[in-house]
Amino acid sequence: MPPSIHPVDLISALRQKHLTPAIVFLTSRRACDEAMQAFDHNEALLPPARQEAIAAVLDDVIAQYPSIAEHPLIPTVQRIGVAAHHAGHLPSWKIAVEELMRHGCLDAVFATTTLAAGVDFPARTVIITQSSIRKARDFTDLTIGEVQQIAGRAGRRGKDLVGFAIVTPSPYIDLAVLTKGFTGHPEAINSQFVITYPMVLNLLKAHPLDQMQSILAKSFAQFQLNQRAEVLERKLDDVHRQMEPYGPRVCTDWISQWHMFDQVRRQRSHRAPAKNHEPPEVAARFRFLTPGRVTGLSKARGVVLRQYRSKGQKSPMVTLLRPGGAITECPAAIVTDVFDRMLECKEAPSYPWCTPESLESLLQDLEDLPTRLPTLPILVSKDDEPIPDAVVQTLGDFSCPTCPSRSACQKDYLNASKLRQEQQRHMKSIQALRTSLWHRFQERIEALQKFGYLTATAQLTEAGEWARLIRIDHSLLITELIRSEAFTGADPSLLAAVMSSIAHDDDRPGLFPRISAGLGSLLGQVRKLAESLAPYEEPPLLRADIAAVTERWIADPQLTWIGLCKMTTMAEGDIYRLLARTLEFLSQLHTLKDTHPALADCASQAMAVLRRGVLEELP
Amino acid sequence: MTTDELEKLLAQQPIALLHRLARGRVHRHFRAGKRRLIELLLRHSAENRAGFESDLQALIGERKSQRPEPPQLRHQAPLSPRTDHQSRRPHPHHEPDSHEPSVSLAEWLAGIGVPTPQPFVPDPWQDDALDKLETGDVIVSVPTGSGKTYVAVEAARRAMEDNRTVIYTSPLKALSNTKYTEFSRIFGADLVGILTGDRRDNGQAPLLIMTTEILRNLLYDAAGGEIDLRLDTLGLVIMDESQYLADPERGVVWEETIIFCPSQARLLLLSASIGNPHDIADWLTSIRPVPCHLIKHSKRTVPLRAGYLHPDGKLTPLFRTIGIPHGHPGHWHPEAKRLFARYEDETMPSGRRR
Ligand SMILES: Nc1ncnc2c1ncn2[C@@H]1O[C@H](COP(=O)(O)OP(=O)(O)O)[C@@H](O)[C@H]1O
Repeated sequence: MPPSIHPVDLISALRQKHLTPAIVFLTSRRACDEAMQAFDHNEALLPPARQEAIAAVLDDVIAQYPSIAEHPLIPTVQRIGVAAHHAGHLPSWKIAVEELMRHGCLDAVFATTTLAAGVDFPARTVIITQSSIRKARDFTDLTIGEVQQIAGRAGRRGKDLVGFAIVTPSPYIDLAVLTKGFTGHPEAINSQFVITYPMVLNLLKAHPLDQMQSILAKSFAQFQLNQRAEVLERKLDDVHRQMEPYGPRVCTDWISQWHMFDQVRRQRSHRAPAKNHEPPEVAARFRFLTPGRVTGLSKARGVVLRQYRSKGQKSPMVTLLRPGGAITECPAAIVTDVFDRMLECKEAPSYPWCTPESLESLLQDLEDLPTRLPTLPILVSKDDEPIPDAVVQTLGDFSCPTCPSRSACQKDYLNASKLRQEQQRHMKSIQALRTSLWHRFQERIEALQKFGYLTATAQLTEAGEWARLIRIDHSLLITELIRSEAFTGADPSLLAAVMSSIAHDDDRPGLFPRISAGLGSLLGQVRKLAESLAPYEEPPLLRADIAAVTERWIADPQLTWIGLCKMTTMAEGDIYRLLARTLEFLSQLHTLKDTHPALADCASQAMAVLRRGVLEELP
Repeated sequence: MTTDELEKLLAQQPIALLHRLARGRVHRHFRAGKRRLIELLLRHSAENRAGFESDLQALIGERKSQRPEPPQLRHQAPLSPRTDHQSRRPHPHHEPDSHEPSVSLAEWLAGIGVPTPQPFVPDPWQDDALDKLETGDVIVSVPTGSGKTYVAVEAARRAMEDNRTVIYTSPLKALSNTKYTEFSRIFGADLVGILTGDRRDNGQAPLLIMTTEILRNLLYDAAGGEIDLRLDTLGLVIMDESQYLADPERGVVWEETIIFCPSQARLLLLSASIGNPHDIADWLTSIRPVPCHLIKHSKRTVPLRAGYLHPDGKLTPLFRTIGIPHGHPGHWHPEAKRLFARYEDETMPSGRRR
């Protein structure tokens, strides 16, 4: 049996059962294109009247968007009445397909699920072939909301009495995910609020610093954090109630008093602690020292190859790889910093505890690390901190042994201290929930102060005044590039090319035109700056190959769209999106015309050249 | 909870729960084994420890309440939405078969066709949404294909009759273009404009279409002191596809737009069905000068049926019932179950599946 139904059979099955028009959601663009090719030699032609209807609709669309006049799919669409619609196509082609569907001209459209939200047309039937979807390079199960969004395209109001969502399996499908999606209640949606540099600058431009907390409090993020805090507050009330019997006794804070007394008593009884006491920081850190972890030592850095406990003392040990290739066994205590960075490390069961290739790449990676790395905040549990000797000396000062509540304290201590810990934990959590947004906002302020966009009193500096107009991703990199004069003297094609390498966030490989030497060296400079900013802003992919596409388009105004498409394996729709995003980024540079007239002018020249052919068709 | 305790608690959880916890927190978490996943989660937890712990507790709680129900509960009347919510996780392979007869293919296919044309009469929920907009903001959460556009169009018409500017936002430039064409057809090209990052067509028209990012930028500029007449006379902001609020990359822009939306303008949020529309309504009510009304329903206007098509071309209903058995993910049609089991046997390398 084939792993999935053949597209031609699928369409004829649907036609036969009167289940057309249908939208067939496939896993990839490639699958959509192959489905279309499957009809190349198909003889099930549409009756002439329907073919003419399709031609008429297409003519109308072509009149508006000439770029699709020669579209290679047109013959199949017209003969068979099926079409493909995905992100690799030009927007104008997608409009044509949507228009055909709206007129009821097509029997089926092959589309990708990635764009379910962008498929703005309904059908009688929706065919589903997958239960997961690629998100950020990973396959994730469809959520209930997504399944319903997809299935919801079935059944056109006013045109259908019923709609059909039909699953047809392909490898890796999990039918349970889909049945759950059909029958379930959509998930709650959650805030994805993040604090961006432009947000901070624009807020501080408009409002004094002391109003920021109340503005942040208006976010849905804070609303949801408050909801969680309220749950904890209710729990806290409950703990308070349970603690009532453990109120003040002879001493007000008898729990701490007893705790101290008890500890001291124990410590006294074992003269020397039986267990080798490792400091709590070391204990807390130790579990993060797993293979691949980058650590800071007093003078250099090292990558952990393995962790273990020494034979006799059972003290925490690590094997470290140091720059230059030395492999050393050291007590975990010599690690001074645990960085928030893991390197790819293929473990091996014996010395040097990783594969030889891994060792090599680790060494390389270690050399290539940026000079600044964020450290990992590690919480140290304070519970078993040893009591200072001074206190031990003063056991005589405790009145517990003779106190009238001694037996009550002894009996209640465990319960009471557990409740109190719980109480403190809830209070800490509530505090964190109430203030975390503000803390993140303050971190952003500090970074902006460090770079000179804000004054010490959080007023916009001269640089801050113009930097707030750059409101796109990677704004810090862009404004820092401008300040470092990276673009001074660059011509429009270089500027546009750099902008597109910053804007483009797709890592799909392909073939691209060669880049000019000038662009190569400028991108090197951009990459260096981006890496140095890494602790403050995630660096963009900065693909040089992609930048070359834009460079060609701007540098040679005679180049036609077809000519450009031939220079790369990138899909038409992707080139379009790349250039459209570049246009957006350039138009942000253009807003700096008062402070950076030369740059703005260069951006506007680039935009004028960029906006030709296909790019001119749509607003 | 100390880090130690947290680690222990994590270690006690099944890996599936850890993966759910890792969603949206840990990049590529599906590749990690349990030990590594715990480490990654611990590392992440430092960012927002409290939120992390409370999510963990919620997942553990959810798991407890989802232990398979005792069998005698099964034949009770349709589940209320609440219990429906709790029994969301499917147990397709464990749920015992019910003894009701299953629908036949012919019954399932019956009734395909085109309805006789009816004069347009707004649905009660559509009228309700428009009425409520007189006294406050409105969020509409209804299934796809219900008719949200009608609400948008009528609301825009009313605001324009009042000499107010209307801004309509959509998440994608492509959708903006479609709406631009559609609205120009309805209202006439003079009255409709479109703003994109680098271009404006008829930018002073009373009905302006733009992406949410563009509106957010206009609001930044206005707050920064730039005078914008359009915002002064702004009477209504319509945000289509408001469920984008939860988009990991762009959701923040929706929040900003709502927070900074001028107080004299009404907000109309249009959304596909989401799980917690009342939260959004409560949130808006708490930050806006007028209350936010929630219009929601989950019944589809055109009934939906689910089917299973085997690669050999054999079609069968997916569920035992003709419609979708809400709350009963395990009510598979025996034929679909049989065919799919065969499919799995033939295509999956042995041992890959449970
Ligand atoms: N009250 C109504 N009676 C009949 N048809 C309606 C009604 N309201 C909307 N429709 C039709 O329903 C279809 C879907 O509407 P649309 O607004 O696109 O849905 P969505 O909620 O997904 O935005 C449209 O063709 C529209 O004309």
